[in-house]
Amino acid sequence: MKNAVGLILNVDGEDDSLKGFLQHRSLSTLPFGGRYRLIDFTLSNMVNSGLSHIGVIGSHKYSSLVDHLGTGKEWSLSRKTQDLSILSGSNNYHIGRLIKVNLRNLQNNRGFLDATGAEHVLIATPNLVTTFDFRNAYDIHLKNDSDITLIFKKDDPLYHLKDNDLYLEFTKNRISGLHYKREHTTGHFFAEMFFVKKSILEELLDLSERTGDWDLMDMIKYNIDTLRVFGAQHTGYIKRVNCLENYMKTSMDLLEYDIMAELFMGKNSIHTKIKDNHPTLYDDLAQVSNSIVGSGCIIDGTINHSIIFRDTQMNVDSHIQNSIIMQRCEIGRNVNLNYVVMDKDTKISDHTTLVGKPHAPIVLKKGTVI
Amino acid sequence: MNTECVAMLLAGGQGSRLGSLTFNNAKPAVLFGGKYRIIDFPLSNCMNSDIDVVGVLTQYRPYILNNYIGDGSAWALDQVQGGVNILPPYMGQKGGRWYSGTADAIYQNLDFIDRFDPEYVLILSGDHIYKMDYSKMLAFHKKQEADLTIAVMDVPWEDAHRFGIVNTDEEHCIKEFQEKPEHPKSNKASMGIYIFSWKELKKALLDDAGNRESEHDFGHNVIPMLHESGKRIYAYPYSGYWRDVGTVQSYYDANMDLLDTNCDFDLSDRNFRIFSNNTSRHPQFIGPQAKISNSLICDGCIVFGKVENSILSHDVVIHRKTSLKNVIVHTGAIIEDGAILENCIVGARARIKGDAQYITDPADTTPEIHVINN
Repeated sequence: MKNAVGLILNVDGEDDSLKGFLQHRSLSTLPFGGRYRLIDFTLSNMVNSGLSHIGVIGSHKYSSLVDHLGTGKEWSLSRKTQDLSILSGSNNYHIGRLIKVNLRNLQNNRGFLDATGAEHVLIATPNLVTTFDFRNAYDIHLKNDSDITLIFKKDDPLYHLKDNDLYLEFTKNRISGLHYKREHTTGHFFAEMFFVKKSILEELLDLSERTGDWDLMDMIKYNIDTLRVFGAQHTGYIKRVNCLENYMKTSMDLLEYDIMAELFMGKNSIHTKIKDNHPTLYDDLAQVSNSIVGSGCIIDGTINHSIIFRDTQMNVDSHIQNSIIMQRCEIGRNVNLNYVVMDKDTKISDHTTLVGKPHAPIVLKKGTVI
Repeated sequence: MNTECVAMLLAGGQGSRLGSLTFNNAKPAVLFGGKYRIIDFPLSNCMNSDIDVVGVLTQYRPYILNNYIGDGSAWALDQVQGGVNILPPYMGQKGGRWYSGTADAIYQNLDFIDRFDPEYVLILSGDHIYKMDYSKMLAFHKKQEADLTIAVMDVPWEDAHRFGIVNTDEEHCIKEFQEKPEHPKSNKASMGIYIFSWKELKKALLDDAGNRESEHDFGHNVIPMLHESGKRIYAYPYSGYWRDVGTVQSYYDANMDLLDTNCDFDLSDRNFRIFSNNTSRHPQFIGPQAKISNSLICDGCIVFGKVENSILSHDVVIHRKTSLKNVIVHTGAIIEDGAILENCIVGARARIKGDAQYITDPADTTPEIHVINN
């Protein structure tokens, strides 16, 4: 993929349900799966596919992104031949439908595009939970001499979505239409990853600037007859995290061994920032089943069907189920949690019971003490 | 960069008493406590003691060790000029030769130490599990105006015959050495940690190198020679957890100490952390039927079976209907459906078949520890 650069967009949640987690971070650094941040998937997929120059567009809440990515060393991106650029994002406002690919973000970073000698740009959102090798899609992109190659997925019940999906209409293998309604389509939807020729992207940016429409998908839609747009299919597991309900469901998917294995145990692993923790200690009275547990925990209670991040401490006579406990939480004695999501550094004192609902878990903000 | 005291870490030993655990791996690189390797302890101690220059003397099967140490950044030992330096035997104008003893290894690297021109040299070995702030020992060495300071600790009298024993006066000045004595006069055992004043060490190593009778060993030759010539040798009293893990049994016992709540050796203590060179792995996956109690488990493990009083290193897979009790499992080992293991050590990447049974008599309080490798 010598002739391509990667660009990871900044997106915001589609509704307010994740607001509690996003006061000090953007969606891209939302903790996920016991030790990861959402952006680790897209970034690792790009690195594992052989991209060596990657730009990440930040939001105005930079510190968590910069802290997480650092120099990119954990993704092998701080070598002389490979690099990571953290780019400035814009404040995105949206009225009505959320813009999937906001060109305003790219407009701010034309310098990044100018500086690269690559002819193709791989653009993806940072909130996709999937493992994907882009090389095959890149071959399709080159073979068809496409202007744009959209990566798509056939919809299936596994993929829980809000009603903001963009369905593709095909004429032979060429994409001839984009629709926000599933009716009259084959159910193949855009997976928010695509290759675009840099020259075409620059033309579209110029056009956006003139027309004031910053939605790249609109641009493609209006010019579908003149642009050469093709598709490349994704056949594996993919989910987009954009609201609390699907954050919860996608997290709990990991407790299915097959999904966990596809995401984390294949040849291409998902990289993340490394922390130096002791191994997790399961004490005498620990009872843990069907769960994912990070390192550095000390566990002395009962955990079932839950995700426990690094450095969590849990005391005796406590029960956790169907919950997500992020980094460095402390849980006292005789605590009962069911359908609770605890953000980092949260403490729960003895004899506390919190019960949420499957579609509406209780969210405890970072640093809460109860 | 602090070059007042340079540390030299002897990591070339074969560790043959650890059996198959060191068939293709140097002793300091043997896994300990799940995610650690033995060398993490002296290197982390250096980091916690503000020592900025460490020479690591390697010789036997060095690949895993060299690869693990890398640029030293895991222990913040990656300064531009100093940091960690791997020192294997080398060729010179007059040919080259292997390190023939602990003192010879340092002697062959006098140039390296001279480069930093330190006041003091700390000699460490790569087979002990302990936490120690060497800067306190250095302060003691300076206060006593010693030529050599040896860290010592009280051992049970009945074990004293297994150690190098020192007899001191009330000022901690060493009056007599007894190597593995039948009738020990004290229970102060040498921990194999030495601080030398560099001038004295250099002179002693040059003298020792010229002595054809010498085996070039610190304990047997160099220190007795300094003692005989009347140098100021002091014993720095250390109290705290310290274990030599040179044999399968002592290695196993020290690992199991980590699961003993009464043991005061705490790896989760944030004030004195033991660091290691980590790579990215997925979190632990604990299956629906898993039963885990009193165990240490590392990232990358997949557990579907029963794990009791055991330590699992990275990437271990425990299938269904298995039972592990008092077991240490090294990286990447796979325990297949139905296997039952007690009191054993499973080597890295070993595959234990489902019909395997290693069961010991419950009445046997000190069962022999099997090391399983394949």
